[in-house]
Parts: sequence; structure tokens; C-alpha cells
Amino acid sequence: MGISRDSRHKRRLTGGRMPIHKKKRAFEKGRQAAMTKLVSGEKRVRRIRVRGGNFKFRALRLSEGNISWGSQGVAKKSKIVEVVYHPSNNELVRTKTLTRGVIVQVDATPFKQWYAKKYNVELGQKKKKDAPVEQTKKSKSLIKKLEQRTKENVIDQLVQEQFANQRLLVRITSRPGQSGRADGYILEGKELEFYIKKIEQKKK
Amino acid sequence: MADLQTQRAYQKQEGIFQNSKKLLAKKTSKGVRYWKEVGLGFKVPKDAVEGNYIDKKCPFTGNVSVRGAILKGIVISTKMTRTIIIRRDYLHYVAKYNRYEKRHRNVPVHISPAFGPVNEGDIVVCGQCRPLSKTVRFNVLKVIPNEIIGNVRKQFVLF
Repeated sequence: MGISRDSRHKRRLTGGRMPIHKKKRAFEKGRQAAMTKLVSGEKRVRRIRVRGGNFKFRALRLSEGNISWGSQGVAKKSKIVEVVYHPSNNELVRTKTLTRGVIVQVDATPFKQWYAKKYNVELGQKKKKDAPVEQTKKSKSLIKKLEQRTKENVIDQLVQEQFANQRLLVRITSRPGQSGRADGYILEGKELEFYIKKIEQKKK
Repeated sequence: MADLQTQRAYQKQEGIFQNSKKLLAKKTSKGVRYWKEVGLGFKVPKDAVEGNYIDKKCPFTGNVSVRGAILKGIVISTKMTRTIIIRRDYLHYVAKYNRYEKRHRNVPVHISPAFGPVNEGDIVVCGQCRPLSKTVRFNVLKVIPNEIIGNVRKQFVLF
């Protein structure tokens, strides 16, 4: 092992060497990186006791996360399907490693179901555009509520298109090696366009 | 607008949500911008409020607070991206001879894109913040343009 996070091994601003007059201390120690892998089966999370008696949850294998849809204000637990882009390292995409900031594809069904319940609209219908759900009996007040909601609703065009493939692009914002979870948010707007462009460039 | 995103990750201000329903509906490129005052009477440059740059280490639009010491120095190098080197001169008293000697220190300071192009010889007021990199602990708060005759590195300017 021997990963230490001291600054004594580094040179000074002037370029001069720093004399080593101390041994490595325990409070400077670092640990191996988690390299959380995306897996379709059981998750694997280890609990690590850290300085001060606190715990970190090192996720070694994960398959799902709590994904939030910012503009709609909901979060659903959803399966992570594939790692698609990483801004720091292409190797992490190849090895399907989950870290903070990685762009993944996530199963869209929990959001589709939620949307159908709230707005009475099936997202991702290929032939009929926004066809309404099967007409179960709805009270007048419920219908009025649904109309009111649809009036105020705005949904990004690119996000809507993703529903057709059952996959949403999501950015992971939690740190799986620290908290043991892979939570994130659905990409929308300019950020979504940016990452779609990056992914297309990579494919070429 | 497109020249903002030069990195592989999408650059944005951390605390701003760009995709609220209101903003998605508008479809114009002008979004919400986060900016703050740094205190101590320093004015926020217009470019920080109206500009588009993203700099998490900017004292006006980023996640750093200015506290502690306020220094003044003369700019000697602007070759780094978003950071400059300033020179601070001082006199050191030698007791044996009852006299002073000239000494100086170079301080690397982070400069926000809110301040336009800064030239060597300008005088800069900077405030202390948390460590921004291995050597940078200060952030430019105000630039005072200045003309210097001769080599900047050979000048002795006491503040």
C-alpha cells in the first residue's frame, strides 16, 4: 500500500527539494480507489471505518441509483444500464466504472409510469404523438387537475425523444466510493445537447 | 456562447439549475447567473454579472470566500491561464547597521476572467481565500492600471 497524501514529497514553488525529516503519518494516509463497476446483478458495498470512527461506504459493484428529474421535481430508483461517457478518462467508460460525473444510460420505465399517472400522457409513443393512457374512470375534479397540470408543463424535446428508446441520459452526482450510492440527475437542455454531441464525436 | 464549453465536462455554475420549466420554455440563451459581493467595499466588476464565463475560483461568481489578509502588489507575469504572479516589495531592517535592505516576494494570485486583460506593471489588490491550488491562496479583487518604465521585475514599489 503506502498511498500517502502529504505535500512533503513535492517540490517547493521555487523548484527546490523539501528535506524529508518525518516519517509518513497515519493521518496522511490514502486508500485504494473504489473503481465501482456497473453490474447487472447483486450490488456489493463494503463499510469502511475511517478517521474519527466514522464510516464510508465503498461501493464495489452497483446496478441502480436514485435518479432525479430536475424540471419535474421527482426522483425515482432506476436501473443503470450502460456507461456512456466520462469527461476525465475513456478507460473508465470501457471498463464500465461508475464515478461522480460519469454519464450513464438509465432505464426510463419508472419515469414513464410516473408521467403517465401525473399527466395522463404516454411518453415515447412512436406513432401517435402523446396518446392518452387507457381511459379508466376519472372523476371530474381529477380531470380538471390533469388539464391544469398539462397547461403548466414544459418538457424538453430531446428528453422526450429519449423515452422512445426506453433510455435516459443521466449524470451521476454522488460519489459511489464514498457514499456507496450512484445517484444522479436526468440531463436536460444545453447540458444534454453538450453531452450528446460529445458521445457522437466519440462514436466517430 | 459556445466558446465557454472548451472542456470535456459541461461547464456550469454549481448552484444554478439551468433546466427549470420556465427556462426550458424560454429557449433564449440567457440563463440565470449566480454572482455575489465579496465585501470589504470591493465593487463587483460588470463583466462578472453580465458575462458568460464559468470560473469556480472567481470571488464573484464562484465558490470562494475572501477572508483574512488583503495584499497589494505589482503584476510581473500574466502567462498562466486565469492566474498571475505579483511582486510584493518590502524593507527589512538590519539592527547592526541601523539600516534597511530591499527584499521582495512573488505571490501567485488567481485572476477572474471578469477583469479584462491585465498587463505587466498594473497594480492589483488581492484578498486571501482558501488554497485554490498548490501555491495559490489569493484572488484578485481590483486592478489598478499602471504604466511602468523599464523592466517590471527590477522595480521597487512600496505600498
